[in-house]
Amino acid sequence: MSNKDKKTCGDVLDEWKEFFWNPRTREFMGRTGSSWALILLFYLVFYCFLTGLFALTMWVMLQTLDDYKPTYQDRLATPGMMIRPRSKTLEITYSMSNTETWDGYVNTLNEFLLPYNDSLQAANNEFCTPGKYFTQDDNSDVRNNPKRSCQFNRTLLEDCSGLEDQYYGYRNGQPCVLIKLNRVIGMKPGDGEAPFVTCTGKKYKVGKDTWKEDSDKIGPIAYFPPNGTFNLMYYPYYGKHAQVNYSQPLVAVKFLNLTMNTDINIECRIMARNIKVDNDRDKFAGRVSFLLRIDNI
Amino acid sequence: MGKNDSYEVFVEMERDGNGEMGAKIKKKKEKKKERMENMKKEIDIDDHQLSFEELEMKYTTSVTKGMTSTMAAQVLERDGCNELKPPKGTPEYIKFARQLAGGLQCLMWVAAVICFIAFGILMGQGNLTSYDDLYLAIVLIAVVVVTGCFGYYQEFKSTNIIASFKNLVPQQATVFRDGQKFNINANQLVVGDLVEVKGGDRVPADVRIVSAQSFKVDNSSLTGESEPQSRTPEFTHENPLETKNIAFFSTTCLEGVATGIIINTGDRTIIGRIASLASGVGNEKTPIAIEIEHFVDIIAGLAIFFGATFFCVAMTIGYRFLEAMIFFMAIVVAYVPEGLLATVTVCLSLTAKRLARKNCVVKNLEAVETLGSTSVICSDKTGTLTQNRMTVSHLWFDNHIHSADTTEDQSGQSFDQSSETWRALGRVAGLCNRAVFKPGQDAVPIPKRDVVGDASETALLKFTELAFGNIVDYRNRFKKVCELPFNSTNKFQLSVHELEDPLDLRYLLVMKGAPERILERCSTIMIKGQELPLDEQWKEAFQTAYMDLGGLGERVLGFCHLLLNEKEHPRGFGFDVDEMNFTTSGLCFAGLISMIDPPRASVPDAVMKCRTAGIRVIMVTGDHPITAKAIAANVGIITEGSETVEDIALRLRIPVEQVNKRDARACVVNGGQLKDMSSEELDDLLRNHPEMVFARTSPQQKLIIVESCQRLGSIVAVTGDGVNDSPALKKADIGIAMGISGSDAAKNAADMILLDDNFASIVTGVEQGRLIFDNLKKSIAYTLTKNIPELTPYLIYITVSVPLPLGCITILFIELATDIFPSVSLAYEKAESDIMNLKPRNPRKDRLVNESLAAYSYFQIGAIQSFAGFTDYFTCLAQEGWRPLLCVGLRSAWENAYNQEVQDSYGQEWTFAQRLYQEYTCYTVFFVSIEICQISDVLIRKTRRLSLFQQGFFRNKVLLSAIVFQLCLGTFLCYCPGMPNIFNFMPIRVQWWFIPVPYGILIFIYDEIRKLGVRRHPGSWWDKELYY
Repeated sequence: MSNKDKKTCGDVLDEWKEFFWNPRTREFMGRTGSSWALILLFYLVFYCFLTGLFALTMWVMLQTLDDYKPTYQDRLATPGMMIRPRSKTLEITYSMSNTETWDGYVNTLNEFLLPYNDSLQAANNEFCTPGKYFTQDDNSDVRNNPKRSCQFNRTLLEDCSGLEDQYYGYRNGQPCVLIKLNRVIGMKPGDGEAPFVTCTGKKYKVGKDTWKEDSDKIGPIAYFPPNGTFNLMYYPYYGKHAQVNYSQPLVAVKFLNLTMNTDINIECRIMARNIKVDNDRDKFAGRVSFLLRIDNI
Repeated sequence: MGKNDSYEVFVEMERDGNGEMGAKIKKKKEKKKERMENMKKEIDIDDHQLSFEELEMKYTTSVTKGMTSTMAAQVLERDGCNELKPPKGTPEYIKFARQLAGGLQCLMWVAAVICFIAFGILMGQGNLTSYDDLYLAIVLIAVVVVTGCFGYYQEFKSTNIIASFKNLVPQQATVFRDGQKFNINANQLVVGDLVEVKGGDRVPADVRIVSAQSFKVDNSSLTGESEPQSRTPEFTHENPLETKNIAFFSTTCLEGVATGIIINTGDRTIIGRIASLASGVGNEKTPIAIEIEHFVDIIAGLAIFFGATFFCVAMTIGYRFLEAMIFFMAIVVAYVPEGLLATVTVCLSLTAKRLARKNCVVKNLEAVETLGSTSVICSDKTGTLTQNRMTVSHLWFDNHIHSADTTEDQSGQSFDQSSETWRALGRVAGLCNRAVFKPGQDAVPIPKRDVVGDASETALLKFTELAFGNIVDYRNRFKKVCELPFNSTNKFQLSVHELEDPLDLRYLLVMKGAPERILERCSTIMIKGQELPLDEQWKEAFQTAYMDLGGLGERVLGFCHLLLNEKEHPRGFGFDVDEMNFTTSGLCFAGLISMIDPPRASVPDAVMKCRTAGIRVIMVTGDHPITAKAIAANVGIITEGSETVEDIALRLRIPVEQVNKRDARACVVNGGQLKDMSSEELDDLLRNHPEMVFARTSPQQKLIIVESCQRLGSIVAVTGDGVNDSPALKKADIGIAMGISGSDAAKNAADMILLDDNFASIVTGVEQGRLIFDNLKKSIAYTLTKNIPELTPYLIYITVSVPLPLGCITILFIELATDIFPSVSLAYEKAESDIMNLKPRNPRKDRLVNESLAAYSYFQIGAIQSFAGFTDYFTCLAQEGWRPLLCVGLRSAWENAYNQEVQDSYGQEWTFAQRLYQEYTCYTVFFVSIEICQISDVLIRKTRRLSLFQQGFFRNKVLLSAIVFQLCLGTFLCYCPGMPNIFNFMPIRVQWWFIPVPYGILIFIYDEIRKLGVRRHPGSWWDKELYY
């Protein structure tokens, strides 16, 4: 009994060898060639059938989809917000005296604003009536495509357009931060009243139950376009297939008198009647927070 | 009667020491051998050969006064208490640890360790995005521990049931010390003590008899002899077990009084040695444990194969080594069926519970299935197959053999009682009888009442009580004048009574005894109420009847009577039994009554059922061959028409040697023959004769027989009740002890206990065992299937870089919450065919989990389920804006927590949190797909061969409620508020529940086609590849 239970290493190896290739029965891993062929053929047919079925259902499913608008958008009730320049950790820290620390930000902004050049905008997009949603509905089954887009000219950003001050204020300690709202098809933010961006100091935790705020260090802020509004005419968005040249509206925030040499936590949020911002789980839904630190020593 | 066949208790001990345990660790072996050798030496008791003087010298005692108290105290100091050391109980923590160390458990431990390693690596790298690995490890450990506790609790509970049988009342013994008589606790007795034992006492130690008066002991628990054995001071046999002047520890004294010197106490007694022999026998691994190990091998092999394959794939695709390593670990872990352990444990304990309701208590959960695989049952005779109660079975009068009713509940047919002869015979049996019922048993059925008196008198008392009614009253009507009790020299018993009729002044002399002695004293015989002269013709008839009854293995007594001559013996005649001053010859022969320890009523039927179930029943007993053979024939172990070699020789009138041994189906072997056999010869014997009876076997020989059966590849069940059975019970794959009559030693060694001592319960056990094997197969197939749809998401995630379709926590919910109940509910499934008409499974071929089961579950049903999951997954993503083609390669952007602007197919931008919730939605959708397919899966698993329409959809109510439960739980998980952030379940759209339904229907139809093919074309390629 014990002999049967306890096999030596050699026995096990031999057993495996025989399992792998049994010269007596000409079996490879317990099956002869023809047996392998048969079973593999069976599985080939089986999987071909399944894959075919899968492909068919996928195809049918894709047929049911609209080309221009997703079936559901319930995940995107509150659009996300983001800043430019952005780094992984959303920190904008630099030393005024050291050009290299901030020219990266300037380059990013230059590049980002390139499509917003007035000339390009004039060529691709048209001038719309401000203060009004630019709706371009389809007539029942006739698509009204391609949809036109409204111009968002770089000059709208005035001091932050990088045209007059090509360093976007970074050189003199008055940095511009661009704020964009994520694109969501069909969204009409503000419900007829133009949504706008406000930036304040962000409350942050420093210890247990002690919160801190850096509002006093922020100083005055300038918004471009004025009041930091996203004009209604840029909405609704019709998707990248229907509205190829869509220019996402931006708001530039210029910090005019920041306290130097200290970390300042700033939070910008969208103020719109139909957008809820306070989602604990999503730090970027309708708001964005970032850290500013400018050293002048 | 073969009484001289001696017991060689430890003769075979060396064999164990040398050969078969060779593989064991050498040190252990030597130690064991040494112990065995010691035991062998110790058996050389010579105390029975010593004279009293030598005995007194040896133990510094006195056969009249006993020991001195001081000496006794010294010896007690030296030898310790006179009690059996409880078998070295496994410490509780080891029992618990054993629960944590099974095959599946080990697999899960390994998986948990891998999880910890993976978690450690991720943490070390500093890019810890989730605690999934940690959770997984904790859950894995929790599952092992919880099921371990469950198993431990089960074991604990059944051990308690067994423990409650133990007789906790301390035994008292009468001892002489310093010439004074004391009553002390039996555990204070020492070697050399002079003790007195009387009827009803348990013999307190091994005792050399010094004086005895009609002292009889019941040795059945030691040797299996159901007849009382008389004990006298004379040395009669060299073998201590055969000699009449030693009474053994724990046997009971039935009648008489004896005094004797204690020669062995505690563990050094014969019983103590047998008990320790049992503890020296290793336990066999249960067949189900072997099956589970085999299954774990398959799982582990596949896991490593898959892991390695995808490790290579990941490396080729361009993942870094550490990442690929983590993938490898994740795949291996994903392959572990977390829920299976719980399923198997619960299924087994359900069956254990079902068995407990039928009075089979299982000590070890795994033993539940063992009976189902059993191919040989080695059954003890006394107390297991028989009632262990002498009962009148046949009568011979009027030149006919009449059968008496021997059933326990008197449900059988009785003989015609109208004959005058019967009344005379019954009168002798009732009057010439000193046995009386113990008082206060009026409510107890007659066969079960306790009686003071020896076994055959008891049998006669009960028999006459049943035939005539109140026998005490009957005896009072015939006032006893004098009596001569039975003694071994004249071999008869007689008594003289007044007659019932007060006017008839004659005396009635009644006599019973050994038939030939009785016949000698008779001159007439009563036939149909007429006294006829006893001529040669009648003597011939008597001889034939006597031989016939003796040949049935029964103990025969002759009965005669005489109405004494009124003139010679007038009223007031002074009968003197010592002088024998009255007529004791020329009597009238009334008839013969034979007695046997009859088989239990349910046994023949149970043996028959075992036979149809392909299980061989072998009788292994310590009793004499003739009795054993008679009972074997009676219960069907030797079937009608089967002959032994000796029978054939007798029929053909040729010497035994000339008989072709192959012609004999049956074979009766006694211990003496067995002693001279090599193990090959024994194997041959077992191979060639399907019907075997072993008689006069010693405990060690029982062990050898079990080993021999196991060598032949059988799974052996042993039933028994006596101490002498305990080594074999331990050695057997499953030992079954009797709960009522069983000794503690037997119960300790057994895996299963029949609370009602009913052999028929074994048949129930076999049926349940087979059913659970089939159903476990189904449960495992069901549980394994979902492993693939749980694994493929990860594989696709690695290779095609789509967002992860199924999360780790979700998998755990499938494994440990929603799918547990359905997989357990398969244990309630009825058998597909008449499983009791099939042969026992071949443990080498019919595996619990075979290749085709794994292949069918994994690569076919599992594959369909995966496709269902992916269909639902891609649909859900596409409808939310992520078309399938975009998803491919999306992984790194999707999982980048710092990217809040990932564009979908329509140009919308998603923050990380939005994507995460979308991912959770995917998990939920995939989860729902698996659930829907698993409902279909549990339905198809109800049968392996039959169509579901033949088996019936609604027969298994538990399964239906399990499906409802599964759906409810799934719905709850999806729609309960708060779930998204706790367990990553999202409320999903209703239509996503229905997308997998066509795949579920496909599974159902495909399996019906498979079963149809299997039924229509047995043996075909289809059958071989697709029947599991």
